[in-house]
Amino acid sequence: MLGSILSRVFLPLLRGKLPGLSRGKKTGLGNVFSLFKKVLESNNRALEAITDMGEKLGGAYIFDINYIKQSYSVLSSGLRESIGQFNSLTGNAYPIGAAFERIDSLIGRMIYGAPAGGGGEMVLFYEDITWDMLRETGGKNFHLSEIKNAMKLNVPDAFAITGHAFDEFIRHNGLEKKIEALSEGGAEEEKLRELRELVLGGGFPAPLDAAIGSAVEKMKARNFSPRNKISLAVRSSAEEEDSEFYSFAGQFETVLNVRAEKTAVEEAYKKVVSSLFSEEAAAYRKGMGITGAARMPVGCVMMVDAAASGVLYTADPLGVRKNAMIVNAAWGLGKSVVEGSTGTDLFVIGRGEGGEKPEIAEVKTGEKAAMTVASPEGGTKQIETPPGLEREKPCLSGQQVLELAGVALRVENHYRRPQDIEWSFGKDGRLYILQTRPLKVSGREDEREKALRPGGKMNPVLMSGRGFVVQRGTAAGPAFILERPGQMDEIPRGAVLVAKNDSPQFIRVMPFISAIITDTGAPASHMASICREFRIPAVVNTGNATQVFSSGQELTLLAGEDGGMTVYAGIVRELVEGGRRGLAEVEDLYEFRKKRYLMRYIAPLNLVNPLTDDFTPEKCKTMHDIIRFIHEKSVQELISASREAGGHSALRRLDLPVPAGIQVIDIGGGLAPDAKDPVRMEQVTSVPFEALLKGMTQPGVWHAEAVSLQMKDFLASMMRMPDITAEGAGYAGRNIAVISGEYLNLTLRFGYHFNLLDCFCSDRPGNNHIYFRFVGGATDITKRSRRIQLIADVLKEYGFVSSTKGDLITARLSNVGREEIVRILEQAGRLIAFTRQLDAVLADDASVEKYRDRFFRGEFRF
Amino acid sequence: MSNRIMIIDDEKIVGDMARISLEQDGYEVETFLNAAPALERLKEQKFDIVVTDLKMKGIDGLEVLRTVKDLYPATKVIMITAFANLDVAIEAIRGDVHDFFPKPVKIRELKESIKKALV
Repeated sequence: MLGSILSRVFLPLLRGKLPGLSRGKKTGLGNVFSLFKKVLESNNRALEAITDMGEKLGGAYIFDINYIKQSYSVLSSGLRESIGQFNSLTGNAYPIGAAFERIDSLIGRMIYGAPAGGGGEMVLFYEDITWDMLRETGGKNFHLSEIKNAMKLNVPDAFAITGHAFDEFIRHNGLEKKIEALSEGGAEEEKLRELRELVLGGGFPAPLDAAIGSAVEKMKARNFSPRNKISLAVRSSAEEEDSEFYSFAGQFETVLNVRAEKTAVEEAYKKVVSSLFSEEAAAYRKGMGITGAARMPVGCVMMVDAAASGVLYTADPLGVRKNAMIVNAAWGLGKSVVEGSTGTDLFVIGRGEGGEKPEIAEVKTGEKAAMTVASPEGGTKQIETPPGLEREKPCLSGQQVLELAGVALRVENHYRRPQDIEWSFGKDGRLYILQTRPLKVSGREDEREKALRPGGKMNPVLMSGRGFVVQRGTAAGPAFILERPGQMDEIPRGAVLVAKNDSPQFIRVMPFISAIITDTGAPASHMASICREFRIPAVVNTGNATQVFSSGQELTLLAGEDGGMTVYAGIVRELVEGGRRGLAEVEDLYEFRKKRYLMRYIAPLNLVNPLTDDFTPEKCKTMHDIIRFIHEKSVQELISASREAGGHSALRRLDLPVPAGIQVIDIGGGLAPDAKDPVRMEQVTSVPFEALLKGMTQPGVWHAEAVSLQMKDFLASMMRMPDITAEGAGYAGRNIAVISGEYLNLTLRFGYHFNLLDCFCSDRPGNNHIYFRFVGGATDITKRSRRIQLIADVLKEYGFVSSTKGDLITARLSNVGREEIVRILEQAGRLIAFTRQLDAVLADDASVEKYRDRFFRGEFRF
Repeated sequence: MSNRIMIIDDEKIVGDMARISLEQDGYEVETFLNAAPALERLKEQKFDIVVTDLKMKGIDGLEVLRTVKDLYPATKVIMITAFANLDVAIEAIRGDVHDFFPKPVKIRELKESIKKALV
């Protein structure tokens, strides 16, 4: 066992059989090194372009498309060059060129507006949706399929009816011209109504009809259960919907509980598509400044037989509760929760240490008078909560809340931003994720607003501390009490809308009202999401606002950061002037965000850890990922080439005050010109090597006297002897440093352990790295593992990312400035000297800590 | 009374970004995607500042500069362009341009330039 671990680790090293080495593509270490440096240079040009684009597209500059074209061409040509050099360095070992072309063509389409790709599929099952199909599947399908495929979360079986299918449907029914005419203005309501009717009465092109039919059959076949008839939720997944920028919350149709039959699905499809032309959706698009033709991909998701459902926010959208997640839940399907049509249970979950250890902080049980259930005849209905389910008891157990929180944290980690998640617990007890989208979180309160708050004391307070603030802000105007929906057209400009229920229908008036206050409603409702997007101060669930206020009465609403609200009588000028709904910001511009969107495929770094299986060209999603991949693999290439250079003729002995027995190969600038054989320590001009030697030879760190081994250590080393001697004869006793002015590759074999350190140390932090590998030892595996533990602890302190396995550690550090690298290398030198025989004294686990602390204190005696 | 600023650029995003940034500072801003309607508008309304792209289809920025100066000698013209070249810059300066920015334009610098122009 021990022998096999060692031989697995050693033999490839000693035989020099690392990736690339046997392909014979490069000639000599000097060549490899100069290619390596060229790769770094062109990578740098690309990185600089990325930085510049990030800055210029960040909102502080006015830019135009020419700028984007120019800077992207600098970026892509830098990268093409990098890839060329990288390919000669590695002998075309990695398909990185293909990864580049894939991302480049996506970005190219965004810049030059060529038609989007997508294989022309009309229907895609979620398992077949890949990361580049956002446009074809729409936001909702895309995100849900991503968490299903990449995170293996429990998402119900589902398929998308694509954007291409939508185009075909529109063409088949001859609606293109009518849609175009919408943007010409005039008689908009009329045009929208006509379009809705034409869609609802439309027919299906034969290929789409067939595709939907076979998808439904496939879904039925693979989910067959004699007890449950399957049915579908047919949901909008419009292009911009659920995106980073727009939620379109509740603006489009969802048809629930649709029979799993072609005709029923097609009817539901038409309903969903027609909602693209609803007045609410048109108002939302206009309000958000969205222009251009809209497309509507649709999702067909298998219905969950839900016991309880709701919404989870991974952060408080108001920014009031720090480090908390919020769950709103009710019995049955989630419809009542998102529509705000019933009271809900509120769970506040503290995220705990590091935001990763959820615990329930607060439970507020709501009066859940109603619940939504699937009707046997199709569709859903809201019923009174039956006696079996207690209205006033929480609809989730503590365990369920924590399970939900755990899954939510994973989703948030995946997207690296707060999420708004719809979920259900099935009657089967399983948790299903039904939707996830970015959550809009309010920023900090305006200083101005804070300073002016006391001004409100002058006017009588009509209401205070009631309900949930769903959007902070200050607003004033005459109250308008909405008795019935039909009165919406009567709402005057600047009014404070006071209504019994919250409703996403209010979108129609949002552009010109100043605030919303409702009697009932939930903070997780669609209306709440939209208020946040429009920045309309809003408070829901106040209980009796429609009775407290009267139409025409002048009010000032202050919805504060701490979640508290106050309504003053009259118009409090000093409050309103200060807290007036913020003017539009550059960030709100649709064109701006659309242009900036391409940065998604350029700047983020997803390929973080080279030690994982995901570190492949296929997993590169951005240009930055490609640069990272090239860099990492170039370093690997350099390491193996340096190791291969063991037989180099230019070996010179290094004269050191400690018996480390190191020989040196200088590939350029690593030694003073007058250095002979043996080289004196002060003749080393390689920055990293000099630093390492300084630490390694510090008086008192290197133990000259042998540490006594116990019998079992002897036995252990005897048993492993053949592994080393048989294969490594040519290597034994040879400790080699390959150096240049900025580079060090050091391989050390002391007794039975093997230590490799590779470092590039230049003026550019982005180019720099330290790679550290340590394996083996003479003592038994327990002691050797303890030594590895100590090394891992020490390296972690300096920011290394490491992975350990038994008596092996590989650790990496990158993106660190020259001075920091030098400092760390001195410590690494001490660590190498200090740990050389340390395993022998690590008698128990506690000793790991003891010696580690001694090391940090600079006490190097055993 | 707040100062009036006209923005002329054939790319929508440029006008939009400039308008939103300048409105935040209390200016009245109007944007135009090409010069002809902008010059029409100038005949009926005086503007304190005209920010114009240099290279546009039809009437270019230098012609805008000349027309503005003919109509309202006191109105300041700020030129922005992606194609900075010395000859054009010299011609613009001769034509009494107030400032000249290569794109992308740092919003803060544009605002400072406008503030100076209005002193």
